[in-house]
Parts: sequence; structure tokens; C-alpha cells
Amino acid sequence: MSSELQEIEELIARMALKDRASFRTLYSRTSAKLFGVILRVLDDRAEAEDVLQDVYVKIWNNADRYLANGLSPMTWLISIARNAAIDRKRRARHSTSGDVLTATLADPAPGPETMAIRASERDRLDGCFGELDHQHADAVRRAYLEGDTYAELAERYNVPLNTMRTWLRRSLLKLRECLSR
Amino acid sequence: MSGTTPDPNDDVVLAGEYTLSLLPEEELAAFEVRLASEPELRRICAIWAEEFSGFADDVKPVTPTEDVLTRVEMRLFGESAPGRRAGLWQRFGLTGLAVAVLAVLLFVSSDFLDQGPVPPETPAYTAEIAAEDRSLVVEAAYDAENAELYVERLAGEAAEGRALELWLIAGENAPVSLGVLPQEDRTVFTVTPELQDTLPGGVLAISDEPEGGSPTGAPTGAVLATGPITGA
Repeated sequence: MSSELQEIEELIARMALKDRASFRTLYSRTSAKLFGVILRVLDDRAEAEDVLQDVYVKIWNNADRYLANGLSPMTWLISIARNAAIDRKRRARHSTSGDVLTATLADPAPGPETMAIRASERDRLDGCFGELDHQHADAVRRAYLEGDTYAELAERYNVPLNTMRTWLRRSLLKLRECLSR
Repeated sequence: MSGTTPDPNDDVVLAGEYTLSLLPEEELAAFEVRLASEPELRRICAIWAEEFSGFADDVKPVTPTEDVLTRVEMRLFGESAPGRRAGLWQRFGLTGLAVAVLAVLLFVSSDFLDQGPVPPETPAYTAEIAAEDRSLVVEAAYDAENAELYVERLAGEAAEGRALELWLIAGENAPVSLGVLPQEDRTVFTVTPELQDTLPGGVLAISDEPEGGSPTGAPTGAVLATGPITGA
């Protein structure tokens, strides 16, 4: 992990001890990135700023649940931002999608097999995406970055919903296979 | 994919769909129940999240207006805004005497109020069942002597016309309903001897259900909050 990420991890650890100065530092280091992530899902700037507020409240309140586990602390932060933005976009009253995931990311260290899978560099991800059909790779990326649903993706690529799901599920399997190589 | 043979790859795919927020609602609820009790599944999701977060590298950072930090700090610490230091009492215009009277009233009346069930003094196990954003927080304490689980709702409530149902998830077992949380903040659930043995290491979860609780005996709505049971 780079020293920059280590520093972010330390900031979260100090926030767990209710250190407000660390919160401010973390905000200044990460808010532009998280705001960018939220804006990809929500086009409306005012709404995105509203979600950004909620996200940092959440980060502060859950800092003590974050455990350094070898996964990038940015994954944790980005997941909180992305999931909050998608919840807002779908306006699902009870949507907890992602809430459990965010807690999940604070699990203790992954096993050795996991660590092998995740010696993950950007090149590797790009390489594996390059092996997918272009449209299929694009669909996975859209689901992640724009928060598109199966219905939205099916409409975009003009295929039946079931076909869309089959594409995507196959792509996930291929990705998994490629990423574990 | 339409076959009925269990496929280990299926969990990898399901976890990927979950991480991409693609699971249809009915599958989502079932998956989240499994997540609460299956560490391996959580690990797979974590790996996907780590992989997918690489997409965010391409996202252009955008600086939010300065106002956002101010508002967040106001919400969290309530003191960033200058000139907002007047105490609660002044703002409500209460004089010292009024405060004293109020304090006595509160003290006296609390004696007469029926507080409902009280927490066990020496619980064998405890759990905090909380939503990620703490919009729902419930504390549970198990009184081994009376085989009773004391439950207190500290934050959140059931949605209009819905109910909150408490589940015990032990290991790989299917969730077992402990009951529907009442309107009152505090309540006590009786725990059968068979269930009692599965408490340590188990997980308590609260799901959103129709009024009166799940009609099927298994969670049907979203899992709103979870918490591990720990020795007190």
C-alpha cells in the first residue's frame, strides 16, 4: 500500500478516536474524489453535495468500524460514496444495498487466496476488461460508475433484460477467472 | 445458469452483481441475510469492491463548494458556525429557577413512569444491531437465568404500515425469527433452550416486514440492521 493510502488509513483510525482535526484532513484529501464519484451517478450538483454531506457524516460515524485489513481504505470510502449516491438516485426508501457491503469491507484480513487475487493493479483490471466483449465490459463499468440497473442497461444496449443479465453474469465469471490468474 | 445444480461460481457472480448494485430487490434481501452470516461471501464482495473501485481512477475529482464541510461539521459537532454558542437553556428562555423546577418535575415524574422491561444486570451476551448510517439502532442483552433477551430500540422505527422483525442467524443456519419489535422502545423475547446454545457467535438482524411480521417464516424484506452477538 502506498504511503498516501497508509496515511488515509491512519486518519480513519484517529477519527475512530473522535479526532476532529483528522476528519478535516481526510475531508480535504478525499472530498474532491468522492464528489466526482457521486457526480457520476447524480447529475445534479446540489443533490450531489447533499449526498456528499451524508457520506462524510457516515464516514465519521463508522470510522470505528473500519478495520485496516490490507484492502485499500479508498475502496471503503468510494463504496460509501457510490452506494449513497445510488440509493439517492433510486430513492428506495429501505434500500440498504451497500450498507451491508460497507460493513463487509471492514471485515478482518482476507485469506491468502484472497490476497493473491488482489495483488490488483490497474493494468491487470484493464487487461482483464480488454478480454471481454467491448459492450459487455462497458456495461459492467456503467453499472459501477453510473449506477445503471439491469433495466437501464437492457434499454441502452437494446437487448431483453434476461439477455442483459446473462451477458453481465458471464462477464463477471470471465473477469473473476482472469483476475485470479 | 438455469440449471438446478448448485454452482460455486454462482456466489462469485451473485457477489459481483451485489457489489454493482444490480441484484433485483427480492434477491437482494435474501443475499443480505446470507451476507450477515457468511464471512466467505463477505470476502468475495470485498474483493469485487476492491477490483471495481479501480474504475474510480478514471473519475475526475471535482472540488465541492466550501459550504459542504461547514455543514457537515455543523451536523457532526454542532459548533462550527460562529455566533451559535448560546446554550440550549438560553435559547429556550429558561431561567435558573425554571430549570430547577423542570429538573425536579422530571425527576419526580420519572419515578412514576412505568419504564417497561429493564435490562439484565449481568447479561451473558450482548449485541448492538445497527444500520450502517445508524438510522436504526437496537441493543440486545441476554439474561441467561431467565432465558430472556432484553431488547431496547435506541433509534429508528418501523415504516408506516410495516414492522421490524428480529432474527437470529447462527452459523449457516436459516434465520430464526425471535419476534416482531413492539411499538414500545423496550421489550423482552423468550429464547428457547435450543436457540440459547446458538447465541454465542451468532448474528442478530432486523428486517423490514409486513405488519405482524414475515408471513413466510423467513425474512422477506430488506435487512435494515445487523450486529454480532458477543460475550458480555
